[in-house]
Amino acid sequence: MLLGIVRRIVSMAVTLFGVAVVIFVVLRLLPGNAVTASLGVSSGLLTHAQLAALNHFYGVGEPAVQQFFSWLGSTLTGNLGISLASREPVSTLVGAALPITLELALASMVLGILIGVGFGMIGALHPGRWQDDVGQGVSVVGLAIPSFVIGTGLVTFLSSVFHYFPASQGYVSLLQNPWLNIQQIFFPALTLSLGIGAAIMNTTRAAMLEVSGLNFARTARGKGVSTRVLVWRHLFLNALVPVVTMSGIQLGYLLGGTVIVEQIFVLPGLGRLLVTSINNRDFPVVQTITLIFATGFVVVNMLVDVLYTIIDPRTRR
Amino acid sequence: MGRLRKLRAISAVALAGGVAATLAGGATALASPSAKSVARASSSAPFVVADSSSVQKLDPDIITNFLDFQSLGLIYDTLVEENPKLQVAPDLATSWTFSNGNKALTFQLRKGVKFDDGSTFTSADVVASLKRVQAPKTGDASASFISSLSKVVPEGPYAVKLVLSHPDVSILEGLTSLNLAMLPAKAIANGSIAKKPDGTGPFKFSSWSPGNSFTVVRNPSYWGGKPALSTIKIETVPSEQSIASALQAHSVQLGLLTEPQVATHLPSTYKVQKVLSLSYRALMLQDKTGPLANVNARRAIACATNRKQIVGDAVFGQGVAVGPVPLGPFASNPVSSLCPTQNISMAKSYLKAAGMPNGFSFTAITSTDLDPTSSAQAVAMQSQLAQAGITMNIQNLAGDAYIQDWLKGNFQAAFAENGADPDPYVMYGRYFGTGANLGVPAGYSSPALQKLILQGDEAASTPVQTKLWSSLSANLTNNAVWIWLFDAFNYAAVAPNVHGFSLSPVVGTSLQALRSTTIS
Repeated sequence: MLLGIVRRIVSMAVTLFGVAVVIFVVLRLLPGNAVTASLGVSSGLLTHAQLAALNHFYGVGEPAVQQFFSWLGSTLTGNLGISLASREPVSTLVGAALPITLELALASMVLGILIGVGFGMIGALHPGRWQDDVGQGVSVVGLAIPSFVIGTGLVTFLSSVFHYFPASQGYVSLLQNPWLNIQQIFFPALTLSLGIGAAIMNTTRAAMLEVSGLNFARTARGKGVSTRVLVWRHLFLNALVPVVTMSGIQLGYLLGGTVIVEQIFVLPGLGRLLVTSINNRDFPVVQTITLIFATGFVVVNMLVDVLYTIIDPRTRR
Repeated sequence: MGRLRKLRAISAVALAGGVAATLAGGATALASPSAKSVARASSSAPFVVADSSSVQKLDPDIITNFLDFQSLGLIYDTLVEENPKLQVAPDLATSWTFSNGNKALTFQLRKGVKFDDGSTFTSADVVASLKRVQAPKTGDASASFISSLSKVVPEGPYAVKLVLSHPDVSILEGLTSLNLAMLPAKAIANGSIAKKPDGTGPFKFSSWSPGNSFTVVRNPSYWGGKPALSTIKIETVPSEQSIASALQAHSVQLGLLTEPQVATHLPSTYKVQKVLSLSYRALMLQDKTGPLANVNARRAIACATNRKQIVGDAVFGQGVAVGPVPLGPFASNPVSSLCPTQNISMAKSYLKAAGMPNGFSFTAITSTDLDPTSSAQAVAMQSQLAQAGITMNIQNLAGDAYIQDWLKGNFQAAFAENGADPDPYVMYGRYFGTGANLGVPAGYSSPALQKLILQGDEAASTPVQTKLWSSLSANLTNNAVWIWLFDAFNYAAVAPNVHGFSLSPVVGTSLQALRSTTIS
């Protein structure tokens, strides 16, 4: 098992290096640079001397390979560089935004699992009945309506009917004001969780239905095992592998989903910082955030693999 | 039966986990919105201004973003400013005189003005500030406003003389730009300007969270009198729809809007103020090659254009058709000396005169990244030109691709939103003047136009300026150099308990009214 984890970590490092190369190249292929992104068409007003000074200041025109290894070397030693747009350390900007996105992702995941597993189990235990129909309805809504539509609808409805939009008061952390923080995170988390919940719900329902028809389930029923034990110990545990897989995949996509939801709900997280930084051609910030998202994705996938071995000992071989 | 009941119980527990937790937070969160609203309106809470943009830089010499001008305009002063009537008015200079045939400009400086660091504002600060603007390493795009400045000579602590290389009356207008703000010489020397704003304005810098918020506090020693508001927080709310929601939730007191569909649909309890923006929309033409090199082909485009309809389609009628000088004392009137309104038969006549009776085709670039209305403008104009037999192809580009092509003049026509100024020299010297920095994207040059611009810059009396700038408008529209389209409104949605605020069209001072704003 240990060897497996080591293998996983090595493959994770290779994946992240690949991500770093791809994002570095893609950013450099975009038209424009930090000077034109900063000044727009006004950069045409600069004299040659001004333009040369700014190019030097922003590092425009340096060889790409030199830029890449200089950035990679600094990143590996913990120096994330300076934002080209705000001149603040990237670590400061990312450090302020990361906890917000993590909190949002965690809350969304918890809500999504509760909704998905809850409705999925109910649907599987009452296939074809009204309880199942309700779950399927929620699933269709979660899958068919994009999160930005749900989010915008929620914000508009709550503010126009209840004059309520807690996030617009400016973000406060859980430590500063726990009650306001919960209100600020809850609705964006709910918005994201519907999509996640729908996917988990379908997986849970299908997996539960599949295992409930297997021989061991019929045997357990025949032996007179109590319903509670049957559902939780025999059915749910055996249906857990695909549910965990789907939850892992959803957590990866969730990080991307925060980009839009943070915009709608005025949360100053990584997603919003990423959008602003792309617009500003703020390469050090974009590269760092992309690496964080990629790291989150591969770490979650690794954890899912480790979880398999705990849930299903057969996979340890 | 008992087993079924148990199954239901288990299901209920699972559902409770999913749904009860989901609803509990929301239901309780909705319990006391009114109490919160009252709290926000109390005098100790900051006055919150919401904008979809964010403050991007703290150095006033290099800012280009509209909100940066508005925010730093609360902290910094300039030698002279534009008043709401778009006339040059005293700011840190109390008076000024041109001499030596308009080749020298002497300012008398305001006394008793202090920077936020406690130092006194003197002529040494003026010298240091203007030298910093001119230094290439600063990268101030507005340095072109003072390109005629050859020397700054202090005349005692409270007077300063600007020696110019040639007569340049328009330099006065250029000095109203916040890119030429007065900075403390000490802060310039120690390089702290980009980190900690230090000005002489009504508010002092408090904090900045890049991408999120910018906060200023009252400057009790402000030379114009202590402002009523103690703290102003400029909050970034990324979409204007969310700003409308924040206004309705009483989380913000002032919402800055540009989208008419949002501004015109707010509840009537909010006072929505609107002013014409200091920018204009135009179809810029590259007049050197292809069919657009023919002046009559360009004139055909000008006459086939229905500006009013474009305003209706692009900004829901929330704007006005304008000519080359959209506003101020020298505003173009009529908007076009050629075809002030759409005239298809005239357009066809020009096509015949151009030797293209069956029309011609060209391609126009737009960028909805830079101007969300540009696509609607293009589609409206495409159908109008088709009535005269002219085919306009539309190519929408990403923001940066557009900027690159625009700077290189790599287009036939470009829908653009350009900055306006009450002084036509400031607006067009950069495009059509001698040695213009933006001569390439301007796509047109003529000695007659250059001469007009130079004469307008040198003219000292208003009647002469009026005549010259009127001729400039006529020259530009007669030759259909570009097709000037419209000027849209900017909006401020003001909460009912806010008093004394009025939005100014001037970029750097559009929030200046906050110095006399109160909240009940």
